[in-house]
Formats: sequence, structure tokens, C-alpha cells
Amino acid sequence: MATGTDQVVGLGLVALSLIIFTYYTAWVILLPFIDSQHVIHKYFLPRAYAIAIPLAAGLLLLLFVGIFITYVMLKNQKDTKKAQ
Amino acid sequence: MTKLAQWLWGLALLGSTWAALTMGALGLELPSSFREVLWPLPAYLLVSAGCYALGTVGYRVATFHDCEDAARELQSQIQEARADLTRRGLRF
Repeated sequence: MATGTDQVVGLGLVALSLIIFTYYTAWVILLPFIDSQHVIHKYFLPRAYAIAIPLAAGLLLLLFVGIFITYVMLKNQKDTKKAQ
Repeated sequence: MTKLAQWLWGLALLGSTWAALTMGALGLELPSSFREVLWPLPAYLLVSAGCYALGTVGYRVATFHDCEDAARELQSQIQEARADLTRRGLRF
């Protein structure tokens, strides 16, 4: 079995993915079938955010991946120029 | 047919079904709660796929079988090889 921080990080990721999945499933799938006067609607944002938040997160992810790739490419270019 | 073609075909099929149902192109009168669940469905499937990927990675990290002895042995072998090659003139 993996040791120490590996286990903690791994189980943390599992827990995080379960939390996100449960909340999002309740938001998208279950809420429309629950009477709009029920108190549970207080714990969920307006429905439009169910699309907006994952979309924004996806775009941010793409941005970071692009920045990382650019950084690595520039570093390689600089190293090749120095070696010449 | 290649795997890519199969995936694209499946996605195109599901996508067009979803679009047809959401825009009411099939002329079916769906109950409003059904429509409420239908329109965020692509985003929902994407988020679920992401959660599944994250959970699988986390689980495999947590249950990976470490081999402490083999790791130490490998490190010492690497040191040996480095010393040997430097002796023979290879610059790192």
C-alpha cells in the first residue's frame, strides 16, 4: 500500500470527486422534481450557474494548460539558443 | 472504422438527439421538469466524467503498491552506473 502523504492525497481526491458528483447530481437531476417551496432549494444556486460554473472552470483549465505549454516552449527555445 | 470515428459518430448521434429534444424539433410535448433536467445534460455528463477520472486517479494513488526495497536497490544501482560511466569518461 502507498504510504503517508500519498494515501492522504489519494483519498482526498476520491472524497472531493464524490462530493462534487453528489452535489452536482442533486442540483441538475433531482432538484427539478422537488416542489419549489421545499427548503432544500435554499442550498443550491440558481440553475443557470449549473452550466456557468463548469464552463468557467473548463476555460480556466484550458488557460492554465496553454500558459504552461507556452512557458515550457519558451524555456526550451532559450536553452537551445544558449547551447548554440 | 477507427476508434476516433466511432467516438465522433456516437457523440454526433447523442448530440443531435439532445438538440432535437431540447429545441422541440420532434414536436413532443415533454413535461417541464423533464425539460429542466434535459438541457444541462451535456454539461452534467462532462462533469461526471471529470469526477470519475479524478476519483480513479485518487484511488489508484492511494492504493499503489510501493516497493521500498526495490526503490533503494534501484537508487544504489543508478549511483554505481553513474560512477562507472564517469570513470570511463562520459560527462553528465
